[in-house]
Amino acid sequence: MRIPALPKSTKRSLIKSDPVLYSAMVAVWLSFAVFIFLPLLSLLWTTFFVNGTFSFANIKKVWSAKYNVRALYGSLILATAVSVSGTLLGYIFALAVTRTTLPKPLKVLLGAVTILPLISPPFTSSISLTLALGPNGMLLKALGIKNFSIYGFIGIWISETLTYFPVAFMVISAILNTMAATLDDAALSLGASRWRMLRTVTIPLSLPGIGNSILLLFGASLADFATPLILGGHTFPVLPTEAYLLITGMFDLKGGAALSFLLLVPALVVFFLQRQLLGTKSFVSVTGKNGARTEFAQLPKTLVVAISAICTIMVVFIIYLYAIILWGSFVKVWSVNNTFTFEHYRYVFKHGRKAIGDTLLIAFLSTVIGSVLAVVIGYITQRKTFIGKRFMEFSSMLNYALPGTVVGIAYIIGFNRKPILLTGTLTILVAAYVFRYYATGIRSVVASLEQIDPALEEASLSLGAGTLRTFTHVTIPLIIPAVFAGMRYLFIHCMTAISATIFLVSVRWTLLTTRILESMTELQFSQASAFSIVLIVIVFAADAIMHRALGMITANFHRPQEASYEIIGA
Amino acid sequence: MKSSALELKQVSKTFTKDGQTVNAVQSVDLTVEQGELVTFLGPSGCGKTTTLRMVAGFELPTAGEITIQGKDMTNMPVNKRGIGFVFQNYALFPHMSVYGNVAYGLKARGERTRDIGEKVRSALKLVGLANTENRYPNQLSGGEQQRVALARVIVMEPNLLLMDEPLSNLDAKLRLHMRTEIRALQKKLGITCLYVTHDQSEALTMADRIVVMNKGRVEQVGTPFEIYSNPQSVFVADFIGQANIVELQIVLAEQETLTAQIPGGGTFKARALRPDHHVQGSELYRTGQSAALVIRPENILVQDPSSEDGTFPAHVRSSIYVGSHVEYELVLANGTAIKAMVPFSRGMHIYEQQEQVSLLFDATATAFLPL
Repeated sequence: MRIPALPKSTKRSLIKSDPVLYSAMVAVWLSFAVFIFLPLLSLLWTTFFVNGTFSFANIKKVWSAKYNVRALYGSLILATAVSVSGTLLGYIFALAVTRTTLPKPLKVLLGAVTILPLISPPFTSSISLTLALGPNGMLLKALGIKNFSIYGFIGIWISETLTYFPVAFMVISAILNTMAATLDDAALSLGASRWRMLRTVTIPLSLPGIGNSILLLFGASLADFATPLILGGHTFPVLPTEAYLLITGMFDLKGGAALSFLLLVPALVVFFLQRQLLGTKSFVSVTGKNGARTEFAQLPKTLVVAISAICTIMVVFIIYLYAIILWGSFVKVWSVNNTFTFEHYRYVFKHGRKAIGDTLLIAFLSTVIGSVLAVVIGYITQRKTFIGKRFMEFSSMLNYALPGTVVGIAYIIGFNRKPILLTGTLTILVAAYVFRYYATGIRSVVASLEQIDPALEEASLSLGAGTLRTFTHVTIPLIIPAVFAGMRYLFIHCMTAISATIFLVSVRWTLLTTRILESMTELQFSQASAFSIVLIVIVFAADAIMHRALGMITANFHRPQEASYEIIGA
Repeated sequence: MKSSALELKQVSKTFTKDGQTVNAVQSVDLTVEQGELVTFLGPSGCGKTTTLRMVAGFELPTAGEITIQGKDMTNMPVNKRGIGFVFQNYALFPHMSVYGNVAYGLKARGERTRDIGEKVRSALKLVGLANTENRYPNQLSGGEQQRVALARVIVMEPNLLLMDEPLSNLDAKLRLHMRTEIRALQKKLGITCLYVTHDQSEALTMADRIVVMNKGRVEQVGTPFEIYSNPQSVFVADFIGQANIVELQIVLAEQETLTAQIPGGGTFKARALRPDHHVQGSELYRTGQSAALVIRPENILVQDPSSEDGTFPAHVRSSIYVGSHVEYELVLANGTAIKAMVPFSRGMHIYEQQEQVSLLFDATATAFLPL
């Protein structure tokens, strides 16, 4: 007689069943505690606690200053304007690339022009706009315009639109590309005109992209620090620059903290809205059952003409702005003495050498550490289930979602006293970059893992490989392109971003971007241009190297698809 | 005592999905002997894949015990169970060559490079893929990928070969071919194999024994012949092959046979299945209650109307001549639809729509099941 086995509980502790995962999680939470929660809580403490008791005194104090209220409204108005204009321009570019039959070279040029602002330091467009439309501006002279001031709302708006519209372009063209072309055909075959098709099919289906783009641009403009600092002046204050001036000019940490709290609120609202938007199922149809891929239908003729005209003007303008910086870096004194000289480059390589070295070292360290963290966090949040997973996802994005100014201020408040005294060190700079810009790495790792069938990892386990070997031999090689995509982004940001780290630089550790800012504030436009050109060249070169490295690593397994479906035995 | 290749004792799996508890697998008992090929057959969502994944160790049972060759494996990690798993989509590593894929497990096991080379080559030869070592998965056809997946597993000489619908991604012709090939290989190597499929002809042709599952429970375990000819439940009868199920009222229950009332006619006598229950005085079969009469379409004779005892009066709803036989759709007096497949011979009358006929059920191939 068989005695049925008693049901046996199979719960095991994580330490025993998966020690690798367990230690990875402990490490991640610890790093979050130190570099995300501690600074943010310190910021909130400084804002809301006066002598140990809860109080709105700091907020009231900054709110009572008219200038700060103006800065809040300024920030919101500017962010609204930039999100609308940038999204519109991005949509036009996206239509040009995905829905028109413009000649291929022109499309390549459009793509290139949208990449330039993404990899340039944040001052680039402000500098070139100053050179073109500022006092003694080249373009103003050429067009004979007088009484125009680039300083103030108009200048910041133009500059930020130019800087951020590529983000809109990328988001929207991605969604336009994934639409089923058969929908166009369906609309036309049902008797719709091309305008009607655009209005009733293309635009409604791209609404999630438009929404996402508006939120992204709103957040980016809200957080932008460099542009208003150069082009805003006193005529158009915004929150990030006010907070910066309060802290660096008046050493008012409490005031800065309170101001950055005002900035934190709308930024978090945008962040949550965006998560909401991306969380809801997109109704774009990627069914994989489209059969042969058909071409998208042509847009109305008049629209194509208009799109082409706008794109051409924009391309010419952007190239002109970059040329002007290059030109500016080679003249003695901008628009006063136009003799050709290498003087500024000599200066950059002599007096800027430390900044170049520091920046490269910091960017390198941040990229390596950030990528490792991105892989670990991306992997455990996508592949594993554990308590607190959603919270881990959320926390990992927090420093990224908050404006750089807020993070920078939080870092100086959080790390300027024991037990964790880090101000002025390399660590604080690297940490600031890592926990801000690894977010893209995490996202690309997660997206890549979603594409990889878990059966591959199960296959490895069933063949006797352990968790760690499976991770290093199967998972990592498969997600390496995504890791590199994240690395490139991280590196570019570490080279160019300034809003958080401007608070963290010191005599010991300085950055190229801060040198550009110094040159600008000293009105040394040509020096600033030379620094910018050097920075752009370094970014380009590093990016090319990483691209090559990836190509070499993946040469082995990205074989061309040449599947032959001969029937075996036939 | 020699222990069985695999034993499942009261294995259950419960998921929580969207706040609801799902009993994916409920109290499954199964013993598999060395060298057997056992298929799990059932509709999608019946728990067959979950059971297989618990044997593999990808899922842990909520309750119960799994032993492989006498050793308790219930909580053993996948990589220490010594099993081989063939996936529905093959799961070949796209970044490794055919050689790299097949050698993967041997390397993880830490075998010597020279031995690995030999073993990989002989495994590839065994599946008929010699000289493909340097190719990559995306350069192979579906059938070739399937063979690499097999080679990758058998090279490890696993205790247990687990296959999850391995042929479902192949086209129909190749599928038939691979069936016989896999079966031949499995016999040749004497390897114990669990094979999940939803394709009944695959199960019937390949298996030593079939486990029919439904809603997380085992409905019946038996040889293909037993499953087809002696289904133990209406579900199995209906799921395997085509079957007509007719509800009849029992007029007499004796020993192993039942006599039931034919609607609009006399009575019908046939054996009752589930001999584990005594027919006489059984809860399952009681006079006055209904029982399900199971009859396959090929066991029905369609004749001119007659009042002979044991025939079922019916009328023709449709008749289709398909060359070798005639397919009838018929309706009994109580409205039950019946399918019949009558072999066609020259000069035979084909009944037309609305014609009255009487059906003769082959009593030896017909059986009652409890409802």
